[in-house]
Amino acid sequence: MKNDRVYTYRSLLCPPFRRQAAILMVLVAFLILPIICEAVDLTGTSSTYLMSRETASGSNLLPLYEYLNFGVNNLGKESISFQFGGYLRYDLNNNEVFGKDKNSDLQYAYLSYRKAASNMVVNLGRVMVFEGVAAERVDGAYIRTDLKGGFGVSAFGGVPVETGTDLPGNNTEYGARVSHQIPNLYAIGLSYLKEEKNSEDFRKEEGVDLWFRPINKVEIVGKSSYNQITSGWMQHTYNLLLGPFAKLRFNTEYSSINYGDFFTGATSSVFTFQPGGPIDPNEKVSILGETVSYAFTGGLNASVDYKNYDYDIAGNAKYYGGRVAYAATSGGAGLSIHRMDGDVDRLSYDEYRVYGYKKINKADVAVDLLLVAYDVAINGIDNAYSFSLAAGYELSEKLKLGADVEYSKNPDFDKDIRTFFKLIYKFDLAGGKGKGV
Amino acid sequence: MKNMTIKVTFLLCLPMLAAVLFACAATNSMVAWHPTEVTAPAICSDCHTDGRAAMDHTPDFGIRHKFYAAQNSQTCGICHQASFCSDCHANKEELKPSDKYKDAPERMLPHRGDYLNQHKIDGMINPSSCFPCHGRQNNERCKECHR
Repeated sequence: MKNDRVYTYRSLLCPPFRRQAAILMVLVAFLILPIICEAVDLTGTSSTYLMSRETASGSNLLPLYEYLNFGVNNLGKESISFQFGGYLRYDLNNNEVFGKDKNSDLQYAYLSYRKAASNMVVNLGRVMVFEGVAAERVDGAYIRTDLKGGFGVSAFGGVPVETGTDLPGNNTEYGARVSHQIPNLYAIGLSYLKEEKNSEDFRKEEGVDLWFRPINKVEIVGKSSYNQITSGWMQHTYNLLLGPFAKLRFNTEYSSINYGDFFTGATSSVFTFQPGGPIDPNEKVSILGETVSYAFTGGLNASVDYKNYDYDIAGNAKYYGGRVAYAATSGGAGLSIHRMDGDVDRLSYDEYRVYGYKKINKADVAVDLLLVAYDVAINGIDNAYSFSLAAGYELSEKLKLGADVEYSKNPDFDKDIRTFFKLIYKFDLAGGKGKGV
Repeated sequence: MKNMTIKVTFLLCLPMLAAVLFACAATNSMVAWHPTEVTAPAICSDCHTDGRAAMDHTPDFGIRHKFYAAQNSQTCGICHQASFCSDCHANKEELKPSDKYKDAPERMLPHRGDYLNQHKIDGMINPSSCFPCHGRQNNERCKECHR
C-alpha cells in the first residue's frame, strides 16, 4: 500500500503531468485575479472549433479544438501585464490527426513590463521576438529600449521553441539588434542571432534592416541577411513604395535569395534539397516585381501586378495579372485573374479567384471560389478548384456562432468535403479597454 | 593576449555606454493601444502624414508587414494582440489560418482552398516564402510526407 502511494506520488511529479499542472495553476491564478483584485482587468477570446474531414486513407476525422487567448492588464501597476495563448485538440472519433490522437501547444505566455518612457519593454516567459534577422519564439527573455540620440537596442535569449530535431543536448539561442533612426527620415538596424544545438553552432546570422523615406511619398524598406556559417548572403529583399499620387500607388519589389545559404537552419527535411531533385540546392533566384494600384472612391480598389522570377538553374517564370476589390462596412467582393508562365510544366497555369461577403444585421455570409487551370494535367487533372460557403450569427456582442463548408477537387482528391463549426466567445472580466484583433 | 584584452574592454564598455545612453534618453513611450477605433483595412495615411503613413494596410501589406515588424513590432501592438501574430506565426499549428477565417475572404490569408497540391507549386516558385513559418516551427504536418 505504501509502495502504491509512493508510485502515485511519483507519477504525479513526472514531467508531463507536472508541466500541465503548473500551467493549469498559473491559468487559474490569472483567471481569478480580476475577482480578487479590482484594478486588474482581463480580456480574451475563447475559440472552439470543430472540423470534419476525410483523410486520403478514408478515415473520418472530427478534431475538436479549444484556443484560449487572454491578457491580464494592470497587474499591481498599469505597466505590468500577462499575455497567454494556447490550444488543445482532441479527435472525437478517436482517430489520429497528424499522427497524434490529441495535441496541444503553448503559443505564448509572458509577463510584460512596459515603461512609460523610452519605449522600454521587458518580456519574460514564452516570448515572440521580431527584431531584424530574428523572427523567433523562445522560452526566455526579451528586452528593448530607446537610447539617447535616436539609438535603440534590443536583446533576447533563451531556449528556442521549435519542432523537434534529431540533435541531442541543450539548445540555446540569443541575439540583439542595435538601431538608429531620425523620425520620418530613416531607421536602420544591425542585428545578430546565434543558435546552438548540443553546444554546436546551428545558426549564426547577421543582418541589416532599413526604412528610408528621403522625401514625402517615396519610401524604401527592406533587409539583407548574412549566414556566418556558410559565409554567404542569405537574401536581399527590398521594396520601393511610391505614392499615393491622386490615389495611385506603385510598389517595386526586388529579392535575391541564395538557397545554399538561406536554407541551412531548418528542423525539417523539406528544406534539404538534393542534387537532381525538383529544387537544386545551389539554386539562386532574383525576383523583380511591380504592383500598380488605384483606390477609387467608395471602397473600390484595382491593381495590376507583374513579377519576374529569374532562376540560375531552373530557368525563368513570370507571374502577372490583375485584381479588383470592393470593401465596405456591410460587405465586399473581389475578383482576381493571374497567369504563371514558367519554363517548367508545373509553373504554367492560370489562376482565378472570386469572393464576396455580406453582413445583414447580426448575420453574415461569405463565399469564395478558387480555380487553377494547369497547362499540363497533373495526375490526369486539368484544373483544381475549391468553393467555400461560410455563415455566422452574433448571438450577443460577445458570442458568435459560425459554420462553413468547403468542396474541392484537385489532383490529390476527387472530391474533398470539409465542414467547420466555430463558437467564438470574447470575455472582458473588468470592462478593460481592449485592442481590435 | 593583447587582442583578448581589447575585446574584453570593448565588451565591458558596451553595456556601460548603453546604460549612459539609456539614462539620458527622454523619449515618451508609444501608447499601449490606438487612442481611436480603427476600422479595417487601416489606412494610416488618412490621418498621419509622417512616417506612420507607411503602415497603410493596402492589399500588398501582407507581404511587406515583415519589414515593419522586424524594425518596430511595438507599432503593430498598438492595434493587434499577440494572438493576431500567432494565428499564422505558430509553433505547432494544425489549422490553416484560412480555415479559421473562411468568413473573411478579403483578408487574403495564405493556403486557401486546395493547398496540398498548390504547395508543391508555390514551393518550387519561392521556397523562401515558406521558410519563416515552416522552417523551424509549424512543420510537423510537413513531416507526414517529407521524412
